[in-house]
Amino acid sequence: MKFVDEFRDAELGRAVSGRILSLVEPGRHYKLMEVCGGHTHSIYKYGIDDLLPANVELVHGPGCPVCVIPMGRVDDGIAIAHQDGVIFTCFGDMMRVPGSNGSLLEAKAAGADIRMVYSPLDAMRIAKQNPDREVVFFAIGFETTAPSTALTLKRARAEGLRNFSVMCSHVTIVPPLRALLESPDLRLDGFIGPGHVSTVVGARPFEFIPADYGKPIAIAGFEPLDILHAVEMILRQIAEGRCEVENQYKRVVPYEGNLRALEVMAEVFELRPHFEWRGLGFISHSGLKLSAAYAELDAEVRFSIPGVRVADPKACQCGEVLKGVIKPWECKVFGTACTPERPIGTCMVSSEGACAAYYNYGRFAREREVV
Amino acid sequence: MSADACGSQHCITCGDVAVEMTVLRVDEARELALCEADDGRHETVEVALVAPVRPAERLLVHAGTAIAHQGGVL
Repeated sequence: MKFVDEFRDAELGRAVSGRILSLVEPGRHYKLMEVCGGHTHSIYKYGIDDLLPANVELVHGPGCPVCVIPMGRVDDGIAIAHQDGVIFTCFGDMMRVPGSNGSLLEAKAAGADIRMVYSPLDAMRIAKQNPDREVVFFAIGFETTAPSTALTLKRARAEGLRNFSVMCSHVTIVPPLRALLESPDLRLDGFIGPGHVSTVVGARPFEFIPADYGKPIAIAGFEPLDILHAVEMILRQIAEGRCEVENQYKRVVPYEGNLRALEVMAEVFELRPHFEWRGLGFISHSGLKLSAAYAELDAEVRFSIPGVRVADPKACQCGEVLKGVIKPWECKVFGTACTPERPIGTCMVSSEGACAAYYNYGRFAREREVV
Repeated sequence: MSADACGSQHCITCGDVAVEMTVLRVDEARELALCEADDGRHETVEVALVAPVRPAERLLVHAGTAIAHQGGVL
């Protein structure tokens, strides 16, 4: 398959792995963070970390859109879903994220009309088919997904759809990265940049990472060779004393991003002063809400919601996992009380969550030979 | 939800996964296109962000919206 087979070639993979080995200094430990949950999933699925020298460690960042949604936000969604006449719609994985009193899936089992959709456009279609009901779409995701929500809102407004609204929980990628870089308990040597987010925002927003923090970053695609190549690019920068934004995913990511997507997002959304991230706390200007021009389509304006902050369960260490401070298997409840079937933390919900990816493809820490 | 090649169930929208699709027909006025995934599944896709598109073009689709043309150099 074009653009797939070329990036899964085992021989090429071994060649890149050999080049990576030649770039690392024995005795030095390299800690690289893959920002995107899609990368985490690929790393575990294809066993990419087994092709790296033992002193190159991959840690998993906050780039799974489901994993960063706090419990209070789930409670808000369930509160709307239980209101009379509401059809509440959301993406599949979001249904299983636990709130303080159950998940959306459990609320559905208890009688709320909650439906899984593949896109915001699907939710709008449900609104058109049910003019006597209020249809709410629970919008989550990074800049990859936000343009889709923005286009749907523009379409809904243009068509005068009055029974459709959006509970906006979209987040942006740069503020949490800055928060991580400011974190005193985390020492990173470089970043594997998010591929699909960068399709929208481009490479430019990541320039602060080398400029302000002196760390290299390589934006990467999601095939095994993409990720290995990005690791090679980062290690080569370190070896040569360079520090810049490199774009490994040039076949998809333009340096300036998708300007139309950025325009439509700027029209429909505005930044919240702060937004709560699961495990990371409140981060300034990291969440999106509907702009004043779209207030009539804002579910948080249209419906009453609790808006209460809920602390994560004490046993859950999603925060440390999301910051890359601990590995999934180091969490006290990993694989015992917390499993993909019955997740306690959000990192175990989505397959892009570090815990679920590790549970499904790795499960236990494996010792590797020291270089 | 969607099953990947290994059969594991996961939500490709939540996972920030973008799917390559081929354009079959274009409704320019509504900025929509009927597209086909490699597994034969058909889907109506919002193409406003990558217009103009033509039949047989390959697009990268996320959450029902094309976010990029699939192409460029390997």
